[in-house]
Amino acid sequence: MSGSLDAYLLLAGALFSIGVFGFLARRNAIAMLMSIELMLNAVNLAIVTFGAFVPALTTHASVIALMVMAVAAGEATVGLAIVIAIFRNRRTPLVDEYDAMRE
Amino acid sequence: METLVTLLLALPIAGFGATALVGRRLGRQAFWLPVGAIVTAWAVGMVVAFSALTGQPPFTGEHGQGFGFSLYRWIPAGDFTVDLGLYVDNLTAALLIVVCTVGMLVHVYSIGYMEHDPGYWRFFAYLNLFMFSMLLLVLADNFLVLFVAWELVGLCSYLLIGFWYKRRSAALAAKKAFIVNRVGDLGFSLGIFAVWTTVGTLNFQDAFRGLDQKIAAGALEPWMVTGIALLIFTGAVGKSAQFPLHVWLPDAMEGPTPVSALIHAATMVNAGVYMVARANPIFAQAPEAMVVVAGVGIFTAILAASIAFTQNDIKRVLAYSTLSQLGYMFAGLGVGAFTAAIFHLVTHGFFKGLLFLGSGSVIHAVHEEQDMRKMGGLARRIPWTYATMLVGSLAMAGIPPLAGFFSKDEILGSAFRNGFLVVWAVGFVVAGMSAFYMFRMMGLTFWGESRVDPHVAAKIHESPWSMRVPLVLLAAATVVIGALLGWPLEGGTIHAWLDPLFEPARELLGLEHEAFGGLDVALVLASVAMATLGLAGAVRLFGAGAGRFRWPARLADRDALVASVPGARFLYRASVNKWWFDDLYHLLFVVIGGRAGAALRWFDERIVDGSVNGIATVTVAAGRGLRVIQTGRVQNYAMGIALGLVALTLAYLAGLFR
Repeated sequence: MSGSLDAYLLLAGALFSIGVFGFLARRNAIAMLMSIELMLNAVNLAIVTFGAFVPALTTHASVIALMVMAVAAGEATVGLAIVIAIFRNRRTPLVDEYDAMRE
Repeated sequence: METLVTLLLALPIAGFGATALVGRRLGRQAFWLPVGAIVTAWAVGMVVAFSALTGQPPFTGEHGQGFGFSLYRWIPAGDFTVDLGLYVDNLTAALLIVVCTVGMLVHVYSIGYMEHDPGYWRFFAYLNLFMFSMLLLVLADNFLVLFVAWELVGLCSYLLIGFWYKRRSAALAAKKAFIVNRVGDLGFSLGIFAVWTTVGTLNFQDAFRGLDQKIAAGALEPWMVTGIALLIFTGAVGKSAQFPLHVWLPDAMEGPTPVSALIHAATMVNAGVYMVARANPIFAQAPEAMVVVAGVGIFTAILAASIAFTQNDIKRVLAYSTLSQLGYMFAGLGVGAFTAAIFHLVTHGFFKGLLFLGSGSVIHAVHEEQDMRKMGGLARRIPWTYATMLVGSLAMAGIPPLAGFFSKDEILGSAFRNGFLVVWAVGFVVAGMSAFYMFRMMGLTFWGESRVDPHVAAKIHESPWSMRVPLVLLAAATVVIGALLGWPLEGGTIHAWLDPLFEPARELLGLEHEAFGGLDVALVLASVAMATLGLAGAVRLFGAGAGRFRWPARLADRDALVASVPGARFLYRASVNKWWFDDLYHLLFVVIGGRAGAALRWFDERIVDGSVNGIATVTVAAGRGLRVIQTGRVQNYAMGIALGLVALTLAYLAGLFR
C-alpha cells in the first residue's frame, strides 16, 4: 500500500465538497443528480479507504461500498424518472422554477 | 277548603292568561274578564279569611295553628323536597283581607282610570298576574315558594312601573326598582340557603321548629341565628324599601296611579313586613337582629318623613309617607309588637290605598298634572275626591277614631313599654311630621287659590263612578276598620286573632302583656296632641281658604318662619334633595362603580384576554416570519442541510462532542 490515509480522505473530502457545491449551485436538475452521484462516490471512496487501511474493517467496507453503489443506482434511476416527469409537466429542467414543495 | 284556596290562586292566573291571549281583541271591553276574576277571588278570599279567623273547620282556631296542604311535590331530590304547599293561618288571613279588598277595588278603579290608555288589556293582564303572585306570596308555606312569589311580584312591579315604557323616566324607574330589589334579594336568598343548611328543610313550620330544637340542643351558635335573621331581613329591606334600599320606591311613582296604590302602597311593599312577621320565631331567637330591624325601621320613618316635607309631586309625597309608615311597621316588629305591626299593615293598606287612588283622581281631574304647585283650590271642584282624601289624611295623621290612630299608637305604646325609648321618641316626632306633610299636601292640592293652568281649569271634572265607588268604599273601611279591629287598645279583635300566633316569640323575648293603663292613656294623648300640632301647623301654613274657614294666605309668615329657625335652610335643602341619597348612590354605584367596572373591563380585555390573544398573535407572527424560509426550492433546503453538516463538523473539530 502506497500513500497515506490522509491523501485518500482528502481526495474523498474534495470530491464530496465538489458534489455539495454542484448540488447547491447548479440550476439544472440533471447536473444536480450528477452531483449527488459525485457525493455518493466520495463517501464510497472514504469507505473503501478505511477498509484498506483498517484490517478489522476490510470485509465490512466492501459490503457497505457495494450497498452504497446499489443505493446510488436506485437513487439515480428514481431521481431521473422524477426529473423527467417534472420536465414533462413544467417544460424546464431548472430546479429554481420548481416550487411545488412550498404548498 | 283546599278547593277554595286553590281557586284563590287559579282565578287571577286564569284571568291573566285569558286577558293576555284575547285581551287585545276585546279593546275597551277587556276589563270584564280580569275584573270579574278578581271580584270572584275577593269573595273567595273573604270566605277563606273569615273561616280562618273565626276558627271554622278545618281551622282549629287554637294556638295560631293554621291549615296547610300541598298542591304537589315540586322538587323531590333525595333529602331535599319542596312542595308547592299552601298554608292559611290568621296572619295569612289578615293579609288576605288587605290584598283581596284593595286589589279588587283597584281593579274596579282602573276601569275608569285607564280608560283612554292604548295598553288597556295589557294593564289588566299585569294586574291579574300581580294579584296571583301576591296571593301566592301570602299563601306560601315554605321559603322557596315564598321566594318565587317574591320575585314574581318584583317582576310585576317592574312591568307596571315601566307600563308607559316609551317614557324614558318610567323605563329607568322600572330598572332602578328591579336592580335595587336584586340587592335585597341576594341577602334573602343567602338567608334561605342558610336556613336549608342549618335545619335541612324550607317549610316554615318545620324550619322554625327545627331551628328551635337546634338552638335548645346548643348546636347553633347565637351569631348564626342572628346572621340568618339579618340576611332574611335584607330581603325585607329591599322589598319594603327601607333605608338604605329605599331609593326605588319614590321613583316607582312613574307607574300608573292604581299601580302605586296597589303595589307600592297597600300590598307588595308590605311583603317584607309580612315575611319578617312570618319568620318571627327566627327573629325572636336573635334579639340583636330585632334591634337592627327596629333601628332601620324607625330611621327610615324619620328620614322619609323629613323628605316628604318638601316634595311637590303629589304622588311622591305619598310615596315618602309610605316609606315612613313602613318604617313604623318595621319598628313595631323590631320592638316585638308583631300584632301591632300587622295591624298597622292592614290599616295602612286601606288608608294609603285610598290616598293613592284619591291622588289618581286628582291627577285625572287636572289632566295628568302631578305637580301640586299647579293645583290648589280643588276642594269645591272635586268634592268626592276631596272628602275621601280628607278621611285618608286624617287617618294617616293618626286622628282618632280613624284607622291610623289605633295601629300607630299601638306601635308607639309597645315601643315605650318594651323599653325602646329612642324608637318611641323618634316615632313620636314622626307622628307630628306625618300629620304636617299630609296636610301640607291637602292644603296645596285642595285649599287656597287655584294655581291650575287656565286652559285646564275650565275642564276640571269629578272622576267617573267606577273611580268614585272604590274611593268611598275605602274611605268607609278607613273609618271603621281601626275601631272595629283595634278597640279597645291592646285588646282589640286583631289581638284575639294574631296574639296566639306571636305568643311563643313574645315569651322568648320576655315580653309580657300588660293591661292598658294610665301610662298608655298618657302616651296616646301625647301622640294625638303631637299629630294635632302637626296638622294645625300645616293648616295654618298651607290652609288658606279652606271652605268656610278663610285664612289669609300667609306666604310671608312661612318664609319668615323658615328664616327664623337656625339651620332651616340646610334642612330645607336636604329635604328637597332627599338627603342626597340619589346623588350619593349615583356617585358610589354609577360613577365610582362604573369606573371600577371600566377598570375591571380593561383588565379583563387587556390582561386576561390579552394574554391569550397575545400567545396567538406571537404564534401567528412566528409562523409568518418562518414562512419566508419555506421557499419550496430544493436547493435552499439542501443549503440548510449542508450548513448543518458544516456546523456539526466544526463543532466536532472544536471538540464540543468530547
